[in-house]
Amino acid sequence: MRGSSLAVLIPAWNEEATVADVVSKIREVGPYDVIVINDASTDQTADRADAAGAKVLNLPVNLGAWGATQTGIRFALKKGYRQVITMDADGQHLSSAIPHLMAPIAAQKADVVIGSCTERGSHARKLAWRFFRGMTGLEIEDLTSGFRAYDLPAMKMLASKKATLLEYQDIGVLLLLMNSGLRIQEMKVPMRLRLSGSSKIFSSWFKVAEYLLLTLILCTSHFMKVKSHLYVSNRGTL
Amino acid sequence: MKPLLSYQWTTAIIGLMIALVILFLIRRDILHVKRSLWWIGIALLIVFMGFFPLQIAQFGVLLGVNYPPILILTIGMGFILIKILSMDLERSRQERTLRRLTQKIAMLEGLQKEAKAVEKIELMTQGEKLNDTNNRSDI
Repeated sequence: MRGSSLAVLIPAWNEEATVADVVSKIREVGPYDVIVINDASTDQTADRADAAGAKVLNLPVNLGAWGATQTGIRFALKKGYRQVITMDADGQHLSSAIPHLMAPIAAQKADVVIGSCTERGSHARKLAWRFFRGMTGLEIEDLTSGFRAYDLPAMKMLASKKATLLEYQDIGVLLLLMNSGLRIQEMKVPMRLRLSGSSKIFSSWFKVAEYLLLTLILCTSHFMKVKSHLYVSNRGTL
Repeated sequence: MKPLLSYQWTTAIIGLMIALVILFLIRRDILHVKRSLWWIGIALLIVFMGFFPLQIAQFGVLLGVNYPPILILTIGMGFILIKILSMDLERSRQERTLRRLTQKIAMLEGLQKEAKAVEKIELMTQGEKLNDTNNRSDI
């Protein structure tokens, strides 16, 4: 049964330790429908999320964080939701920031709002972000934040086939949105350290190198494609 | 006949052209970016081989390869590269389809679960109504 026009999407892969807490905290903030996309977890993630009151979509094979997020967006579109928020299942993102993240979209001032927290990155990560910002022309501080709000046009773009072969919800997604003429706003939000485990994307130096190389190739292939005038210049802060 | 280009420039141009084609294919969303690492690597290797022919020749001598009419082999290898690239393009297309089908399965299962839950609630409501009617007729 639909509670609101906003769905909160949580891609989750082996997050049994934190997912129930994340779902409960979101439901405390407002009557939002929470959809957990279980990315072929081998633990109790789906059961814990279900018990906490989330709607659970079970992917039969692991598609990665972006593949799972896109599943949620496609499902949300099918169910008639008009806005979605994406959040990590590891407890880094604070559900109390959801209403603030939604405000620019409700006021129709932006199509995409990125909850950013650049303080959390290491010096090496900040250096990489600066490099990729320079390459792409993207004027966004936190390029990898998974805490984002999307309105209907952004959802439709991200649900399209064009976005299916992307690997991460970061620069590739931002470039696609930007080149579609959608307005992106960044909002500083507080985040906390992950409650358990470590980053799945950057689990080893090999994976970090692979991520950097793939992103470098992606940025090079989209060089000079960004229409920088489409940015919403005023950055909000929470 | 006097050559138009030196060997270095020929291979450098071939390498750069491969790199540009790969970047163009990624830009057009035809080639999966994950498949591109290999191809960019090949392109860089060709450029390297063009600019350092002496080292490559020395390496060949070390391995006992010293045969000048290598052009036919190079052309043959070029055709093989084109064939493999076309296979990677097809693989990217299939991967896109597979991902969307996987997503669709998860979505359909979710919708089915919802429909079953609604059906269950409706059955329970009907059962309660039936009980009420029976109770009233008993009275």
